[in-house]
Parts: sequence; C-alpha cells; structure tokens
Amino acid sequence: MKRRSGYPLWLRFWHWSNALLFVILLITGISMHYSEPGAPPLGFRADVLVHNAAGVLLSGFYGLFLFGNFALGNGRYYKVVAGDIEPGLIRQVRYYLWGIFVGSPHPYPHSDERKFNPLQKLFYLVVMYLLFPILAVTGWALFFPERLPEATLGVPGIGLWALVHTYTGFCLSLFMVVHVYLGTTGASLGELFRFMWFGEPNRAQPSPAPAQEFPEKSSANSATSAHAEVAVLKEDS
Amino acid sequence: MRASAIALLLASIGSMPQVAAQTSPPEPACMECHKPSETTIDPVAFAKSVHGGLDCSACHTDGVSKFPHASNPAAMPDCSGCHSGSPSPGIDFDKIVAGVKASVHVKLVDPAFRCENCHSPHTFIPASQMTNAAAAILVFNQSCLNCHAAGDTAAAQKLAFSALAEKHRLFPHWELHIQANACVECHTPRGQQGLHLILPKSQALRNCATCHAKNSLLVTKLYTHLALKERAENGWLNAVLFNNAYLTGATRNRWLDWGTFAMAGLTLLLVGAHGAGRWLFAYFRSRS
Repeated sequence: MKRRSGYPLWLRFWHWSNALLFVILLITGISMHYSEPGAPPLGFRADVLVHNAAGVLLSGFYGLFLFGNFALGNGRYYKVVAGDIEPGLIRQVRYYLWGIFVGSPHPYPHSDERKFNPLQKLFYLVVMYLLFPILAVTGWALFFPERLPEATLGVPGIGLWALVHTYTGFCLSLFMVVHVYLGTTGASLGELFRFMWFGEPNRAQPSPAPAQEFPEKSSANSATSAHAEVAVLKEDS
Repeated sequence: MRASAIALLLASIGSMPQVAAQTSPPEPACMECHKPSETTIDPVAFAKSVHGGLDCSACHTDGVSKFPHASNPAAMPDCSGCHSGSPSPGIDFDKIVAGVKASVHVKLVDPAFRCENCHSPHTFIPASQMTNAAAAILVFNQSCLNCHAAGDTAAAQKLAFSALAEKHRLFPHWELHIQANACVECHTPRGQQGLHLILPKSQALRNCATCHAKNSLLVTKLYTHLALKERAENGWLNAVLFNNAYLTGATRNRWLDWGTFAMAGLTLLLVGAHGAGRWLFAYFRSRS
C-alpha cells in the first residue's frame, strides 16, 4: 500500500520556498532600511533588485498557497472549529507556559484531521490571511509609486504605504523567529523540521539519541508521534 | 532670457532683500510698462522674490533712461557687485564664484557664464525661506531644464525632457527620481558650498546609498535648515526633506527604530529563556 504522506509535496515546496524567500526579503529589507554608503553585503541597488524579485516570487507562492487551500482542501486545517477559542487557546497557552516544561502530553497532537493547534491556527490565520496580504499589497503598490494617491490618510506621498510595508514585514519577521523556535518542540529538536522536509512522519521519527535532549517528548503522546501513529494505523487498515 | 522662471539658490541670500520682500514694497515705476506683458516681469513673483524691495535701476543701470531702451544684458553689472564675501554663516559668495568657475558651465559652455543664466533675479527666493522641499525642487530643477530640456513649444519641451529622463534610467523609478530630487544634488560634489560646481556627467553621483542613508546627502545639500529644525522639534530624522516623498534608508523614525529593536530583542529573549527552561527541566527530570 502506498505510504500516506503527512505533508504533500506542493505544501512542502511552498513552505520551504516561502522560508527561503522570506529570509532573502528580510535581509535585503533590513539592508535597505539601514542603508549606508559602502554597507555590505550587496549594496543598495542590488538589495532593491533582489528584494523586488523575491517579493514577486513570494506573491506567486501565495497564489499557490491559496490554490492549495481552496482547491486542494488544505484550507480545512485553518477553519476555526468549536473549542478552538474556548478552551483551546487557554489549554495551548498553558501547555507552552508550563506543560511543555514538565513533560505533559501535547493538548492538541497532530493528526490528519488537525494539523494546527488552536494557538497555531489563530496565528497562521492572522499571518497568512491578514498580515501577508497587507505586506503583498503594499509591496506591489511600491512598485508603482507614481500611481499611488498624492496623500493616503493625510500622509503625503508613499510614506504610509512604505511604513505599513516595513513594519508589517517586521511583525512577520518576529513571527518567523517564534515559528522556527516552535519547530524545535517536536520529539527532538529536529524532528518537526525533518517532518516538514520529507513530509513523511515515519522518516521524521527521531532516533533515540536526539530524544534524550527532551526525554519527555519521546513518549507516544508527543505531537508528531501521535501523527505517526495515525499514519501507521491508516497503513495497516 | 529663458531663465526667467528660475530661483537664485544661494547667490543672493542676504538679509536686506528678505526684509524688504516681507514688507510689500511699492512697485517700481518700470512696472507701469512692463507689467502687462507676459514676456517681461511677473510683478507678483517679483514682489515675493528676495529682490522685491529693490528698484529696477539697482541692476538695470545702463541704457534705461531713454526709450526704446538700449540696455545690454551682457553689460549689466555682475551679481557679485552686491553679493560678495560671507554675509551670513554658511554662505560664502567667493566660494560660490570659485565653484562656478570650476564648473562645466564655465569650462565647457561659456567662459562668461553669468549667475542669471540659471537664477532669475526677478523671482529668486532663497532656499532658507522655502518650507516645502517638493515645491522647491520644482523651482530649482526648472533652472536646469530651461537649457537641458529646452524647446520652442510645450510638446518640444516634453520631448526634450523625456530624452533627458532616459539618461537617468540607472535609477529604479527614474522618472520619479529626477522629479523628486534637485539635479544639483547628484551633479555637484558633496556639501552645500559645492552646489555651483556642476560636475561633468561622468562624475555625477551614482551610489544610491549616498542619499538612501541615515545621513543622506540631501541633508547636507539644500535643506539643511529644514532638517535641523524638524529634527529638533519632533525627532523625525530627515522626514521634512521628503515631505512629499519617502526615501528608503533615509526616512527613519528613531522611536520606531528603537521600538523594533526592543520588540526583536524581547522576542529573542523570551524564545531563548523558554528554550533554556525546556532544556533545564528536561535535564533535571532525566536525572530524577
């Protein structure tokens, strides 16, 4: 029987392309904002070109994201369901503030029906359906500054557009930091990264050695182990 | 002369004309004849100008006592007859004259290049009296465009401007770049005193970060007085320079920048503390 994949290829391709492009945009964006004569690594002109190209590509990948969500069914993981807010958010926050330290089981382990915990879902919704569109729209607007209104909300020129673009990008950068950190909360530090790379929970199962870093995660209650169990059950059925 | 619409940048900054311009002086007698014609002097613009308090005869000293006039512009007294030395801090007319003599205008165009080739004494308002950088740029650039995008008709001028703009394609949004910046900002050396030393085009500034930076070149050029005033009042760095534009790398707000540093630092601190806590708890649980 064909092995079931935890994350389909398109999703992993989108995710890692997104990650690479966002890092490029972050570096070039910071370089432009804090531009100084002779500042490394690329220089202002190259920063602009690379930032623009990466921005266009990232917008394209957002199209893939929307297609995957609305045409391929991945959007169901983003739907807020009963219990997500109350008690979901509280349980998840309590887990991150205490349970994760004392080895409590993950309150919302991965499964084919639920890939995001309530807090994760809320953040992803805000990031992908609010902040990212704002970033993309303002970014594209800055491609055509001559077509923008002379003043926006009383702020003349492109100032407001640039300001919103810059600081929305900053907020998304902070999200990325937390996102990467929470990627280490699998059964081992690298388990969730491998899972996202290979897409198969079986291959993502940790070897005994890294599990020792966080012994409590080696239990069958850990998030991905639970997912792996689901996958194995489906294989056996 | 075609340079009739051009403001004199620095060459005639002086206290006396500024005061005179603010007190709505009586119209010179010459205006009785010259007012109706669009080809001569705009009395409103002249009254607002830094020379608005002067009588025409202050400059037009020769050949105007008879009609028709025999005035020869080339024989008119040079501006340096009144404007010399260093009448106020930061202004040194001797350096300005030296700059003009070293510029391509004198070396390549006309050894007898005169101030009024670029600066109309009839409309000039000094940069220090301009509070809107965008409007000032239009005035400044018009003095260049009068020759460098010259045309007998509006269509011809537009065509000449397009050809000139094409030469600036190295910039992203090159049309906006040349509309939103004074030509002299890139075509002269750094520093306010160099504004009249027009360089050969091969030496024009091409490093984007010269302007797109915290200490933007633009701050050291025409609008130093605006930048210092605005910075002292509300902490916005360079913002007033671009009150109709946003300049990446230069339009920074120190409070926003510090806020982002603080938020990024706090995020990294919390993430680091959380990770360290996980490691410590796991370590002690594994030993117990």
